[in-house]
Amino acid sequence: MTFWAQAVEIARVDLRVERRLGDVLRVVLPFAVVGLLVFPFALGVDLSAISLIGPAVFWAVGILFGMQVALRQAAHDNRERRDLYALLGVDPAARFVGRTISGSVLMVGFLVVLLAAMIVLYSPLLPQGWPVPVIVGLCLTAVGLTELGTLAGEVTAGLRNRTALASLIIVPLALPLVIGGSQTLESLARDTGILPWLLLLVATDLALAVAGVAMARSLEEASR
Amino acid sequence: MLSPDDTSLVGSNTILEAAGASLSGRSILRGLDVEISPGQVLGVAGPNGAGKTTLIRLLATLISPDQGSGLVLGARLGSPDVYDVRRFIGLMSHTPAVIAELTIRENLEHAARLRGEDLKRIDTALRVVGLAGAAATRGDACSFGMLRRTEAARLLITRPRLLLLDEAFSGLDVDAQELIDALIERTIEQDGAVVMVSHDQAHLVDRAARVMTLSAGRLETVT
Amino acid sequence: MNRVRILLATAGIAVLTGLWFAFTSPVDRLQGEFSRILNLHAPFMWVAFLAFGVTAFASIMWLIRRTSRWDRLAVSSVELGVVFTATGLFTGMVWGQAVWGRAWDWADPRMASTAVMFFVYIGYLALRRAIPDPEMRAKRSALLGAIAVIQVPLVYFSVNLFRSLHQTQSIRPDGATMPDEMLTALLVNFVAITFLYFALLVGRLHLARLEEASAAETARDPDAVTPPRLSEVKDV
Repeated sequence: MTFWAQAVEIARVDLRVERRLGDVLRVVLPFAVVGLLVFPFALGVDLSAISLIGPAVFWAVGILFGMQVALRQAAHDNRERRDLYALLGVDPAARFVGRTISGSVLMVGFLVVLLAAMIVLYSPLLPQGWPVPVIVGLCLTAVGLTELGTLAGEVTAGLRNRTALASLIIVPLALPLVIGGSQTLESLARDTGILPWLLLLVATDLALAVAGVAMARSLEEASR
Repeated sequence: MLSPDDTSLVGSNTILEAAGASLSGRSILRGLDVEISPGQVLGVAGPNGAGKTTLIRLLATLISPDQGSGLVLGARLGSPDVYDVRRFIGLMSHTPAVIAELTIRENLEHAARLRGEDLKRIDTALRVVGLAGAAATRGDACSFGMLRRTEAARLLITRPRLLLLDEAFSGLDVDAQELIDALIERTIEQDGAVVMVSHDQAHLVDRAARVMTLSAGRLETVT
Repeated sequence: MNRVRILLATAGIAVLTGLWFAFTSPVDRLQGEFSRILNLHAPFMWVAFLAFGVTAFASIMWLIRRTSRWDRLAVSSVELGVVFTATGLFTGMVWGQAVWGRAWDWADPRMASTAVMFFVYIGYLALRRAIPDPEMRAKRSALLGAIAVIQVPLVYFSVNLFRSLHQTQSIRPDGATMPDEMLTALLVNFVAITFLYFALLVGRLHLARLEEASAAETARDPDAVTPPRLSEVKDV
């Protein structure tokens, strides 16, 4: 089987598993929406402030809870499963790419629904023509966050307190994604051009993809 | 990259020379000299903590030696060559490797697709291992015996040249044990090699031409 | 099954009757046609509270009696409660957007606490899905169901306890504050939606009994695993 065929097969099965478990739709997404609900309680009920902070709260909640989507596969990973894929001849890089594909699909869905919830709850003032650039930015952020989650999951494989550790690794490295995603909307509102921010997201995604593919074998060996 | 049916590997020995391996900074295996030729069944006995599982994982190329050297199916351990031969190695480890959220049939389809095997062989494999009526059962609803049979079906499909069994017979009924015996027999008939690990030496003597005994990471006797 | 069909059909007729009343009753002078939405919003929210109350009762009964029918009642009522809460929130947001100019109002503590209640029971359902063992699932759900009902009176009385934009209860013991025709439409819908809840609950309980029976049958199937065919090993 070719590299891409292996990656697609890995992604296909991962999405099937997610359809059966429903971790993202039934647990992480409601959890994230509750996160959106918590912020205004802490701030009080000044409506003008709530409208202004809506997009910022979205990105903070999106990244923090999106990590749970990104680390989902790592939670189901165990030594037997990793050995199985190794002995079926699956290229570790194909496994990384496959997980990125399936994780990105789920992450985009997650962020889009969360965005809709933020718009309903916070009634932010959105600039003209916002949907396409914001959705593009959101998709690029989703891919980058998934890549980070997959890499962090491999680095922390088999370790005690893996989930907290992986989250600690992801959050600081996700800063370019937060900045690129949030500034895409900000620059639309200021009419100052969104291209630099989208390019930042593309560059981050590419860098993570190259790192993931190049280091896949080393990460797999290190996880044993 | 070797093709799935590359027969140049048939006849390649598996050799460990003064090999040692560590885990988490602890030395588990030391100074092992082992040679396994095609058509042979090698048994490895020893008490808990002797290093039997580490030896199996070393032979499976899943870990590299930190002392000595080794060749598995012609690929040097610790080199990128192992990625070419892993597909010819079959492993039944202590815990069955079955994806819990997929059904038995889906597990086999997934493995067959990744290997580029003919999906039609799955029905035959299920019938042979006695799981044709349970193919729609999810992995997390299977008994231990059913999981082992699923692994056996997968190994029938993938036809390994080197079959590694780590306590594979433990906890199984007579039917399932006979199935694994048949798997061993087929591997030998196809000029493969088998290494089986068990704490039950008598069990190994019945099945293996040679039996090693491991103790504290060292080879003590060969019978 | 016939009983369930009859109940559901009757509930359907009741709901249609309620809708007829809702669309033919007079409208509020300030809110206009949008006031009709309240004929659905208020009953859905009342039934949601009722459903979660039933869950709490069934959960406590399970903890006392440990029989599966109380667990079936608890989860069936939660499922309906979640749907009714979502519908109530949605109709409330539609009304809010039309009348207040915003779908969501953080100044209204009842809206936010209702949303929180919704997610508490989403968590209940997620907890159940995560536990394969029926006995453990029933026990942990019963504990959570009994505790979670604390939300229900908090939501209802928040209108009187906190400053709120939301109108205070229109139906009070000393007499309602709306014209008789509007009150009639509202009460008919209260009855109809409550009847709908009971009909759906009966149907869902019937389904739950069938699911349990089917699971038991599958678990007892002795023919699923057969002896291996060793002579055919070479054919694979």
